[in-house]
Amino acid sequence: MNHAIRADKFLLDADRTTWHDETLWFVREKRDRAVYAVPEFQELRELASGIKNHTLSRLDLYLREFEAAAQANGVHVHWAADAAEHNAIILDIIQKEGATRIVKSKSMLTEECHLNPYLIKHGIEVVDTDLGERIIQFRDEAPSHIVLPAIHLKKEDVGDTFHTHLGTNKGENDPQRLTEAARQHLRAKFLAGQVAISGVNFAIAETGAVVVCTNEGNADLGVNLARVHIAAMGIEKIIPRLSDLGVFTRLLARSATGQPVTTYTSHFTKPAAGKEMHIVIVDNGRTQQLGRPDFRASLKCIRCGACMNTCPVYRRSGGHSYDFTVPGPIGAILSPNIDMKKHSSLPFASTLCGSCTDVCPVKIDIHTQLYKWRQVLGEANEIPASKKWSMKFMGRVLASTRVYGLGGQFARKALRLLPHGLTHAPSMNAWAVARELPEAPKQSFREWYAKQPAPAAAQPAQPQIPA
Amino acid sequence: MSTTSRERILAAAKANKPEELPLPIVPDFGGEATIERFTTVLTGIGGTVVRMAGLDELEETLRQLFPEARNTTSPLFRGTVPVNAQTPTGILAEIDLAVLPGEIGVAENGCVWLPEANMLHRALPTITQHLALVLDHRRVVATMHQAYAQLPNTGGYGKFVAGPSKTADIEQSLVIGAHGARSLVVLVY
Repeated sequence: MNHAIRADKFLLDADRTTWHDETLWFVREKRDRAVYAVPEFQELRELASGIKNHTLSRLDLYLREFEAAAQANGVHVHWAADAAEHNAIILDIIQKEGATRIVKSKSMLTEECHLNPYLIKHGIEVVDTDLGERIIQFRDEAPSHIVLPAIHLKKEDVGDTFHTHLGTNKGENDPQRLTEAARQHLRAKFLAGQVAISGVNFAIAETGAVVVCTNEGNADLGVNLARVHIAAMGIEKIIPRLSDLGVFTRLLARSATGQPVTTYTSHFTKPAAGKEMHIVIVDNGRTQQLGRPDFRASLKCIRCGACMNTCPVYRRSGGHSYDFTVPGPIGAILSPNIDMKKHSSLPFASTLCGSCTDVCPVKIDIHTQLYKWRQVLGEANEIPASKKWSMKFMGRVLASTRVYGLGGQFARKALRLLPHGLTHAPSMNAWAVARELPEAPKQSFREWYAKQPAPAAAQPAQPQIPA
Repeated sequence: MSTTSRERILAAAKANKPEELPLPIVPDFGGEATIERFTTVLTGIGGTVVRMAGLDELEETLRQLFPEARNTTSPLFRGTVPVNAQTPTGILAEIDLAVLPGEIGVAENGCVWLPEANMLHRALPTITQHLALVLDHRRVVATMHQAYAQLPNTGGYGKFVAGPSKTADIEQSLVIGAHGARSLVVLVY
């Protein structure tokens, strides 16, 4: 199944598609208002890009520096080559603690590693504490957006879900009251949590600290009440210095939701007395991506989601149509590195309009990489035969003036003579599934031009002076 | 297991990284370091700013703002519940109001730096139903760059707090009071 087929399913509900499209565009507009209020915003993007490029160019050294600083802070540092090792390390920490009740704040990495099903299989209760993540956990769904995990749902869906799982009144759809019900439910989970798992927004090589940004405060509440904190991070989360956060904290929330900053920007450096802190550093394909010069810039991503909110394809196809942990334009350039065959349709889920690149706070050349992945996929024979051969055919036609002219004549005739049912047959002309073809003109521009009299020698233009 | 993974990851990062690129220098950018700007921004994101002539007005101001707060705690005055790093979760969960000293206010985004040393207990600022931060008006800076430049270090734990806990996870409707404090007031003197 490819992206287009999954998108078709999303598009069956036209009203919901329109709502999804408009809601994400509204977030994009909020982003613009926040961004325009900062005169140096474009300079900040350039600085953020430069800091990330520098960090990637010394990544092994910064990882060593980070590890040493974290260990000096009394933090246990673990290394995981892949998802399986990441999951095994975390289960081991939980089992050594003798814990069965886990509270978890948002982490796309643990989604990528499918940690929750793994822990549940081993008898551990895992509670996602971000409201959006809790909603989709109840529904046994994947997040459809990295910042707004339940953006594909309407309040009526959430009301039904909470009625089933939290016993709220049937038909209760008020976001305020639903959120309050979740607050009460999750408070009990926080108070009972033995181990807290969090993601990492930034890991500071200089201090060994990890920084976690939330609006709800769920990471702070979970981590500070449990005895053990496990923070899971990809190797690309490193930044060199504490002062670099000045740049990234000014960009992240403004790009993500249009807020000036997230409610909580929390720096976890040392465990509290009598408690434990673990950091799991994960590769899972990232060093391979670092070795691809055309695609390594994707590792600069700070997971703000701005590229999704602005993407005309994402907004009208929904996050689940990508079938990858990170959807949208950034997901479409990260996913082929993980599994080129499975995700081969994603780099084509784009108009190459470049809006993603324009809003990216760390200046990743997303649409250029989408285009480059298409070349890689073509060479690896990972595109459908129909696309491959039609491209080859059109390449021939467009390369020859004579063939192009003949083809045009033929097409104009055919369009006039053939019945509509044939020219617009969905099986033969996917473009016309939801569109009308234009009326075929009698002649092409070139034919018309050839019949014009030769222009007289050009006269220098005289200024027109009114009499 | 993880020793070999560590070596493998570091070796691959070393082998695959690009040629070294320079670390940019981040300028200060200046900006508006005023309590007025701080107030406008924090109010816009759901917080409240209350001006006091001096710290001696603190308790009276709190009585007016939180007449119904029963369980209160603070390092600045004698609250009804003493809290320290060993206070059990059950007692923390009953706190209505925590009043803590903030260190630095940031005018561009309305956040306040709160280090562990000022928190009594690490969970207190989020588990309390309502949070009040006390801020010296002379400690307002314009931007995050200036805030980080003023931090000697981030201690064992510390955070920037910008307004009350909130969420928009249900249909993008903003709801104040997700898991953390339901309200945030910054008392400026």
